[in-house]
Amino acid sequence: MSEPVNDNDKQRGGAADPPIYMASDTLSQAQGLAVPPEQSVDEPIVVQNTLWSAANPQAYAGGAPSQITHLRALELGDKSDNGRWSALDIIPTKADYVLDLIRLNSLWPLLSGLACCAMEMISAATSRNDMDRFNMFPFRASPRQADVLIVAGTLTTKMAGPLVRLWEQMPEPKWCVAMGDCTCSGGRYKRSYATVEGIDRVLPVDVYVPGCPPRPEGLIYGMMKLQQLIRERRGHWADRAVGPTVPLGV
Amino acid sequence: MEAVGDRFSGPLRQRQDTTEIRIRPQHVAEVMRTVNEDDAFRFEILADLCGVDTGTEMQVVYHLWSALTPDWLRVIVEGLSRDDPRVPSVTFLWNGAEWAEREAYDMFGIIFEGNRDLRRIYMPPDYTSFPLRKDFLLPDDAARSPGEGFRHVEQPHQPGESLRRPVLRQGTSEQQ
Amino acid sequence: MTDPTIIRSLDDPDIWVETPATIYDAVPPYPPRTEREAEFYDLRDGEMLLNLGPQHPSTHGVLRVVLKIDGEKVVDLDPVLGYLHRGVEKICENGDWHHAISNCDPLEYVASMFSEAMPVMVAEKLLDLPVPRRAEYIRVLCWELNRISSHALYMGWQALDLGGLTPILYSFIERDEIVEMLAAITGQRLLFNYLRIGGVNGDLNHDFLSRLGDWMSRAGAQLEASTRLLNENEIFVRRMSGLGVVDRETALRTCLSGPVLRATGVPYDVRRAHPYSVYPELDFDIPTRTEGDSYARYLLHIDEVRESIRIIDQALHEMPDGPIMAKIPRLIRIPPARAWVAIESPRGQYGCYGMSDGSDQPFRLRIHDPSFFNLQAMTDMLPGNLIADSMAIMASLDPIMGGIDK
Repeated sequence: MSEPVNDNDKQRGGAADPPIYMASDTLSQAQGLAVPPEQSVDEPIVVQNTLWSAANPQAYAGGAPSQITHLRALELGDKSDNGRWSALDIIPTKADYVLDLIRLNSLWPLLSGLACCAMEMISAATSRNDMDRFNMFPFRASPRQADVLIVAGTLTTKMAGPLVRLWEQMPEPKWCVAMGDCTCSGGRYKRSYATVEGIDRVLPVDVYVPGCPPRPEGLIYGMMKLQQLIRERRGHWADRAVGPTVPLGV
Repeated sequence: MEAVGDRFSGPLRQRQDTTEIRIRPQHVAEVMRTVNEDDAFRFEILADLCGVDTGTEMQVVYHLWSALTPDWLRVIVEGLSRDDPRVPSVTFLWNGAEWAEREAYDMFGIIFEGNRDLRRIYMPPDYTSFPLRKDFLLPDDAARSPGEGFRHVEQPHQPGESLRRPVLRQGTSEQQ
Repeated sequence: MTDPTIIRSLDDPDIWVETPATIYDAVPPYPPRTEREAEFYDLRDGEMLLNLGPQHPSTHGVLRVVLKIDGEKVVDLDPVLGYLHRGVEKICENGDWHHAISNCDPLEYVASMFSEAMPVMVAEKLLDLPVPRRAEYIRVLCWELNRISSHALYMGWQALDLGGLTPILYSFIERDEIVEMLAAITGQRLLFNYLRIGGVNGDLNHDFLSRLGDWMSRAGAQLEASTRLLNENEIFVRRMSGLGVVDRETALRTCLSGPVLRATGVPYDVRRAHPYSVYPELDFDIPTRTEGDSYARYLLHIDEVRESIRIIDQALHEMPDGPIMAKIPRLIRIPPARAWVAIESPRGQYGCYGMSDGSDQPFRLRIHDPSFFNLQAMTDMLPGNLIADSMAIMASLDPIMGGIDK
């Protein structure tokens, strides 16, 4: 328990970081920011596969470590502001920063609790694990008033249509959080005839919160990661990819 | 049970706390009415109505409870063909059976004659299959190892390539 | 191996259904296919169809109700289910009897010990397997804790649907405590996966017992505090009493069960009608009320919480020592048989019909959730009320869409 649990959360420049660095530690340090600007996803976590080997030795890139995550690809690539207000290019950067602070500090979720994860979402919003601390309390009933769509619960093929319609009704800027295993990849219902294997088949997802159901603290961690994404302008804005992606050769 | 005994198509079985009788579809209406209203039985509570697809035939199974006996009564309506299963509906006795019969229709294709509202309840209204039949296989049945038997619908990308693609604007169809 | 021509790919249009864009329009675009559909979608002068869509703050999960309204009064309604149909029964047929436990968990996600109990008790009945007494007492303890947490959620949700935002915070305080307690033995807050065929997964530990002791010492006072906010509240009482009345005959014809049925005066509780587990040895009453309206159902839930606290008390004191799991082989092959088992869940009579065929997979595992029949009572209760009252009535039926849609 004396090593940092998560390499990602180590501060860059590494001086005097506490041995256990948790996301909640930063709240008191940074004034008013959800996540301090120095902290970012540096290296993806790569877990080597030591349990089994593929029947075909050429499969899975022949045993090479897994490819980089797609978030990293964005970072390496073009970093210009690809939000819809392109006229903002002429305004100095500080305004963008303030706008981002405004957006991330008042994310209004849409009540989109479909199944069991909705119970944990409500649990995250009530007194014990309070999402109101992160200014995320008003769960709006109308999609026109909401910022972030937290899809909590299994998406079935019958519900896919209404959910995409909800998504399309939400005004930009909007983000999507896939909460729970069923929304990330289909979860325990992956082989079922009536579910959509992961909402990223129909919606562009910004944050995946795995778990069945994820603990409320897990959801809050996911929302804080979303705030970090907004802060660093990595929320995908208008050009998003829909659909799970795998590198070629797999 | 003697009053309806002559309608049985199989022996009356008793196991643990359930009494099971088997009848043919044409006797459903009168048997149900008898067990519901007759003072000797008074099976007023319908606990469950479900369909079963044994590989060769379809069955509809009712579970009933009465205040007079500690046992459950299971009524198995058997002998329904798999091509055109038809059973008289029991909605004239129990309103609550309406949705259960809709579900049996949706999952198996069993037509309940007399149900005023026999449409699909779980699947979308234009769905064509009956999922719980034994000839409706999930991909899982075929695959015994990951990746075998079906292909993933995922979008490949070159590592390092930007993922900015135009967002799908039309409905829920995925890129193939 | 199966014939490759009948392998259904995930791209099969039957499996991945492209929902037509019109599925959420109030009036279906095709002519009515059934008598009831024709009757419902036939609008008289002045009537209007209002779509209470799958996403709505007061539908409990994804339930879509098409209301036919005349001004503000509801004339008729057509509930549309299936937005959470996940194909649990089919998946259960493809796995082991043990897999069925975790597959059936999310059916009643608020109190999932009850839905887990279904495949477990059916398999035990099919095998004629006696469960150790300690395991039975632990099961009863967990069931009653789940019942209390479910009723607490109900109370909060009922007030939330009437517009009160505070009581749900109170009920979630209670619920969080209970759920953390159960997480101490099961490891999970919500979908416990704790019951096993032949017993339970792990014994009680110190964390659980200390939390339980803490909670029990406060339980009575906490219940009083939560109910004091609502029981005598004039707004609450006037909005709930007299609404959503079900009489005894209608209740039996609609096959209701649970608090909805007991509020109409029928003292049918599966724990007393068909005792299972160690309930015959425990001393508790079945609260019944006769009015049959929403307020009676609400008060009944509170009475049931009191009875559950009594049961937990007794179970704690009478818990014997012993093994918590019967000795069964890892791979269970059940000889061909059929079994029906029913328990009393917070919503009513939860039943399961299991058929085994001699292999290690269930041949048919039919789970019957009480909310499925209870929700049908809506068609009788809602017409004649205002739209705002419809929400209160729907909430008082306490439906859980996970079980309704399977």
